[in-house]
Amino acid sequence: MPFRVASVKRFLILSIAALLVAGCAHRSEEVSIAPLAPAAGRVDPGLGPGTQALSSGPGYKGSPSWSPDGDRIAFTVDGYVVDKPTDSGDLRRWTTRDFFAEDTEWESDGVLMILGAAPPSGAEVVSSSLYTARAEEDSLGLERVRKGVLAIGTDGEGLIFALDNGTHESRLSLTRGSVHRLYTRPIEGRVAALSLSPDGEEAVLAVRPPGDREISGLRVFDLSRGIGREITRLDGNQEILGTPQWTDQGIYFVAGKKRTTVDSDIVEPLYDIYRVPNEGGAPEPAPGVGEDFVAASIRVSPDRERLAVIGRLNPKSLTNLYLLDPRARDLTAVTTNEDMEIKTGPDDLAWSPGGKSVAVIARGIPSTKPEVRTEPADRLLKDFYNLYEIPVGGPEDNPR
Amino acid sequence: MRDIALWLSGAALAFLITAGAFLLLANLATAPSEKSLTPEKAPGGPGDSVDLKLDSERLASLEPHPDQKLDLAVENEGGEQLSNVNVTLIVSSENTALLDSRYYRQRVEKIPAGETADVRFTFDLAAPDQPVARPTAQTPEPVRKILELRATTPEGNSTVRTVILPP
Repeated sequence: MPFRVASVKRFLILSIAALLVAGCAHRSEEVSIAPLAPAAGRVDPGLGPGTQALSSGPGYKGSPSWSPDGDRIAFTVDGYVVDKPTDSGDLRRWTTRDFFAEDTEWESDGVLMILGAAPPSGAEVVSSSLYTARAEEDSLGLERVRKGVLAIGTDGEGLIFALDNGTHESRLSLTRGSVHRLYTRPIEGRVAALSLSPDGEEAVLAVRPPGDREISGLRVFDLSRGIGREITRLDGNQEILGTPQWTDQGIYFVAGKKRTTVDSDIVEPLYDIYRVPNEGGAPEPAPGVGEDFVAASIRVSPDRERLAVIGRLNPKSLTNLYLLDPRARDLTAVTTNEDMEIKTGPDDLAWSPGGKSVAVIARGIPSTKPEVRTEPADRLLKDFYNLYEIPVGGPEDNPR
Repeated sequence: MRDIALWLSGAALAFLITAGAFLLLANLATAPSEKSLTPEKAPGGPGDSVDLKLDSERLASLEPHPDQKLDLAVENEGGEQLSNVNVTLIVSSENTALLDSRYYRQRVEKIPAGETADVRFTFDLAAPDQPVARPTAQTPEPVRKILELRATTPEGNSTVRTVILPP
């Protein structure tokens, strides 16, 4: 019997030991981690699945513009102009580094229209001029089209631009193929931005009226008859930000005035999206956009059915990309990023020609400490402002 | 008495077997295998075994002035001695329109296998005089300095570290 009790004890001890060893042991094989994906190609920088980086490396980028065939995208970097293929490939420079470009638009595949200024000599203040640049030319030479250009716009078939015509007046010029028309009748006020109507017969202009400190007027200009009219004017020191966008549901624009936030002393401009009927009238807040929404920039899709909107759901939330369907009065979030700063300049977004994606400029939130990376600077993405192509679905995905 | 002891022993054994089974199942079902957090290097040839070690405190102490000093360690992670390892430093600006990049180079004669060699760069981190006054709207915020360090072995394998310094 003592033997039986000892056996039971030994069995118990061995069982406990075996179970503890088996149960608490960790598997120890190491698994290597695949290298990080290179900068080009599909990435998820916090802007949602399917997002593709269109640029990399340092440089303050702006004014993206897709070529008419959608194969290339042009943009400004620290004032000079470059373009590159949208899939992969090297940058191609269009202007010298000391050129200062404000905006660039494709006139056709291989031809860029650039609004900017050549480097001034001495303390001379240089007004912006419109230049033409052609891809096939080896040099970075630009052909100046016109001096004193205030704003440019394009509809894929032609280019319209506003000219400085004195302190309180502007004029328009239209180029379509071989047709060049300079409108003789002046426009009251200085044009700050312009775009074309869906049929290309009219232009909508954001104007600083004579005697007004802000860009507060919206005018429509009939390109066939060469006459214009004011369709609305903001009061209360409000200003129009960026380019008004002409949709089938009316003309949309971003406007507001600088306010002091309730919670702090920081003065932050809080802008809203407004709509005004094509025939004119008082602007109303854009239907479908929440009253807390803070807008930064808008751009109408090629089919004029949707508006890409960069903004924030409320003053305390992060900036994201949204789609506004004017007909359905519905605002949909495209990105829900939590760690990226999307650039909010009026010209810092662009639709692809097919209307299936939007280019935005974004970066990670900068650190206040030195950051060390294991890639060369020109391959880094989130550390600098870079261009991203964000798929938004085609018009067929837009339910009615 | 013996029956009670046997009952108690049996109950204890049943408890332990059940507990052990649960432990075993928990490990099998959820415990991920341990992973090495050392990133793989890009494919390279023989001798692809050099690494750069930077001191974060030293980086944080850099100032936008001339004669800044940066110490770093070049580590031979391979099994053979390395000779003539080139270490370069490119100091540039986030503003790519400024042609102000500065290049510095050091050469490390020998690094025995598994050991490190100290390298010191003395470099200029002062902002250059801008030849052209650029409109402030184009660069509305202060630009950051970028240090790009690269160690290259004679076989052509290299390791890069890019440091982005806050303004």
